[in-house]
Amino acid sequence: MSYLSKSDIVKYACTCGQLKSITNMYFCRHCLKLRCGYCVCHEVDSHYCSNCLEILPSAEARLKKNRCQTCFDCPNCLNTLAVRGTTVSVRDPDDPSKVNSQKKYYHACFFCRWTTRDAGLPDQAVQTVSANGWTHKETNSSNVQRVTVLLERARLLGTLERHEREQREKKFTPRSRRTFTHLPGVTSAHVRKRAGLPPELPAPSTIKDTLAEFQPAVAKESVNPLPEEIFTKAVNLFEITTMPQRLAQPEIQPVFCVDLLPAYKHLSTKRSQRCRECEHNVSKPELNPSSTKFKIQQAAYFHVPEVRLVTAGALIGGKDTEVVLLFSNPSQHPTTLSFISLREAEEEEGNKQTEDTSDLADQQGEAASSLSSLTKPAVVLEEPRPISIKVTGNVELPSPDAEITLPPKDDAAEYDYSGETHKSHNDPKWVMHRRANKAAVSFTVTPETGFTGKRCVIGFVLRYTYINRIPSPGSFDQKPQEVRLDTRLFVDCGKICSK
Amino acid sequence: MLKTFYEGGMGLTTEKQAVVFDFGNEYTKVGYAGEPAPRSILPTELRCPETGRIQRVFDAVTFDEKYDLLVEFIHTLYFRHLLVSPKDRRVIIVESVLCPTTLRNMLAKIFFMHFEVSSLLFVPSHVVSLSTLGVNTALVVDMGATETVVIPVFENVAVLHAWQAQPLGSFAVKRQITDMLKKYESPELFRTRDCVIPATRVKVEKTEPQEASETSAEAGVPEGYEELEEREEDFNYITEKHIEDIKVRTCFVTSLARVQKAEEGNPCPPPPNVDYLIGRSSRIVNISGEIRENAYNVLFEQDGDHISVPTMILDAISKCPVDMRKPLAENVLLIGGTAMATGMRARICEELKSLVVSPQYCDKLKVRTFKFHTPPAKENFAAWLGAAIYGASDIVSTRSLSKEAYLRDHQVPDWVSLIHNVFHDGTKRSL
Repeated sequence: MSYLSKSDIVKYACTCGQLKSITNMYFCRHCLKLRCGYCVCHEVDSHYCSNCLEILPSAEARLKKNRCQTCFDCPNCLNTLAVRGTTVSVRDPDDPSKVNSQKKYYHACFFCRWTTRDAGLPDQAVQTVSANGWTHKETNSSNVQRVTVLLERARLLGTLERHEREQREKKFTPRSRRTFTHLPGVTSAHVRKRAGLPPELPAPSTIKDTLAEFQPAVAKESVNPLPEEIFTKAVNLFEITTMPQRLAQPEIQPVFCVDLLPAYKHLSTKRSQRCRECEHNVSKPELNPSSTKFKIQQAAYFHVPEVRLVTAGALIGGKDTEVVLLFSNPSQHPTTLSFISLREAEEEEGNKQTEDTSDLADQQGEAASSLSSLTKPAVVLEEPRPISIKVTGNVELPSPDAEITLPPKDDAAEYDYSGETHKSHNDPKWVMHRRANKAAVSFTVTPETGFTGKRCVIGFVLRYTYINRIPSPGSFDQKPQEVRLDTRLFVDCGKICSK
Repeated sequence: MLKTFYEGGMGLTTEKQAVVFDFGNEYTKVGYAGEPAPRSILPTELRCPETGRIQRVFDAVTFDEKYDLLVEFIHTLYFRHLLVSPKDRRVIIVESVLCPTTLRNMLAKIFFMHFEVSSLLFVPSHVVSLSTLGVNTALVVDMGATETVVIPVFENVAVLHAWQAQPLGSFAVKRQITDMLKKYESPELFRTRDCVIPATRVKVEKTEPQEASETSAEAGVPEGYEELEEREEDFNYITEKHIEDIKVRTCFVTSLARVQKAEEGNPCPPPPNVDYLIGRSSRIVNISGEIRENAYNVLFEQDGDHISVPTMILDAISKCPVDMRKPLAENVLLIGGTAMATGMRARICEELKSLVVSPQYCDKLKVRTFKFHTPPAKENFAAWLGAAIYGASDIVSTRSLSKEAYLRDHQVPDWVSLIHNVFHDGTKRSL
């Protein structure tokens, strides 16, 4: 399995120019292109708490500031806190001679042994401790109040500015808007809303009155002096918080460990990925946080032939050697493979592009005239990067017309051990052996001279046929179409030796 | 009509909260507009996907490298800390006036082209900090990680010709601590990967796989130990993180009187030493009182050009017209993480008062009183809070650079550029 998660021997070039292993890529079935995490649009699907696995709707999550209301993080070591129960004996208020035992709960960290008792928080009577039980030490409430006042002032200033602008515009462009105010039940506020205008502004005079009430901050001449005891008192580092502990609570940023308070746990998200060009999902997880399955999972691994390096001979600069690659077809349809050198593919691409641009110009002219506001906004794409890897070996490829066909993936054949590796009669001689949907192909590689000690990287274009079962919009042809797709591949064959 | 009807949603949907970023050299502040504190303050660094090492984002040299790191970093900010889809959401970025144009354009490209945000607003950190106070005039001293920048703001306009900037920030303090530790403690504490390890440890040289297995066999170390060693190394010697920890937890800004006494030759007894434990082997490093007390003095010692943090403040005031000087001196606002050090404000106050009567300034400046503001926030996110307050008003919808405008021109309007700063008839637009 390790090659699935950590393999950088065979790299595929994504449409955006990034080099990734096939397990890290998507394949958009609508655009028929490879996509990677860099060039898809990530979206937050749902919020959930990674501790209690509760899903919060996004509106609620926003309201709760993306925090779970029942789980807490340890302020000391930033791990999750656990609830602990304990029995305390309480003297009965009615009968002082009787002692009642009561169940109490508090939070403790199993990693660093910090407890809510350390922070001086009282124990709770219920197990599901909500934060309401803990009246938070009000250290920054005055700040919050002040910020609310400042926010109000900023809003009013903004409104005033807009008012002035509207007045200016009014002067020059008299607006004739149909009024519906004669209709029963329709107010002017309603009309404004209907016309897509912001609600009626309060009169500037009232805004100015409210602004006049605002009290700006007053600077003080006296500042808190440095405490004298700092020069004599020994420092206990265990009592002073570290930077990560402080920054975990940005509002308070406590300096002393005594002031640490348990923090609501941050929510986690489930994310879906969307192709930027066609806006179809390439990956969408199931909503349930405990499920690891996907509703849509168009990994390249299920569609694009997979390449593995089997053996490579001794790599010596300037000398031919044999490299065997294994190709396997993951799809449910037979596929035909052929190989093209990088240079030829580039030339083809260049020719295609010049044709495309002339076509595109025609199309755009048409589209612009018919629909303007209802068409979807223009696709924003970063320009593809040039490939960052340096090819240090020449590979001798079979001619582009030579093809091999791989049968579809058959799950039952995986367990069929009787089938020996066999060669089909009409296979060319560079096919070493095949089994089920796999074929091993031998290539002759010549590492370039002057790269002794470096990795030998070969590159070529794999052309494979793909059965497109998604009908293109506009065409009434519902039949699956066979298309030829190209993928640039870079294989790291090993280190170039000197002798 | 149709367009507004659908897109405005009949005014039923409220505008999404804008996201406010303040990218610092050391720490990045990120949160939503209209909130009293950022959601997260986190180091501006990430694990490089290729090398696997923690790397500071702004240390990257080439354009592509920095671009990739920033994309990765902003991606984690959105999906690990803000937990929203970046697409079609407004963004406000707090920038220093001295921010390089290339970085600014790079950020615009990342946000518009990669994250497809709907609009972007750059706000100057010094000016927006005033919105945390509700005043129009203040002398803003931003003490950051790499530098201290002083810019007077008068009636909400930055007095740019009076700007002062010096590399006197937390990096300077950290360098000072490192130097002092090397002097007082053993320089062996600071060990880079290629140095020889002291006798107590057997270090397996990081070589090629086959050779490594040979050497480890010789040394009687089981295979796979090499990697462990690598990690342990990081635990046992002072790293930059430790220096920062020492700075934050043990050091403070001493008073001027004590410094003057020390200069006269009869120093006061130093504050108590601190034993600082490093690593799994609990190696003890003695942080002497000298280091604790004097590390921050590097910001106050006048260099060859007679420049320190307090003289920068006075220089900035003296470069302003006479009418502005008194209001500026009576509205000093200290922001930035370095300003949070214990005793920083008291020391700056003392220094200003003594400098202004010294021969260096007594003729130039006639102001004698200095007053300090206290923003309703910790200093390290004061600029962020300013932008968050500013960004909660209508201004964000009227002044932002929209996605459409960026996709049309592919450039960010900048006040220094004549392309954006000239009327159609060619006359220069006055600020």
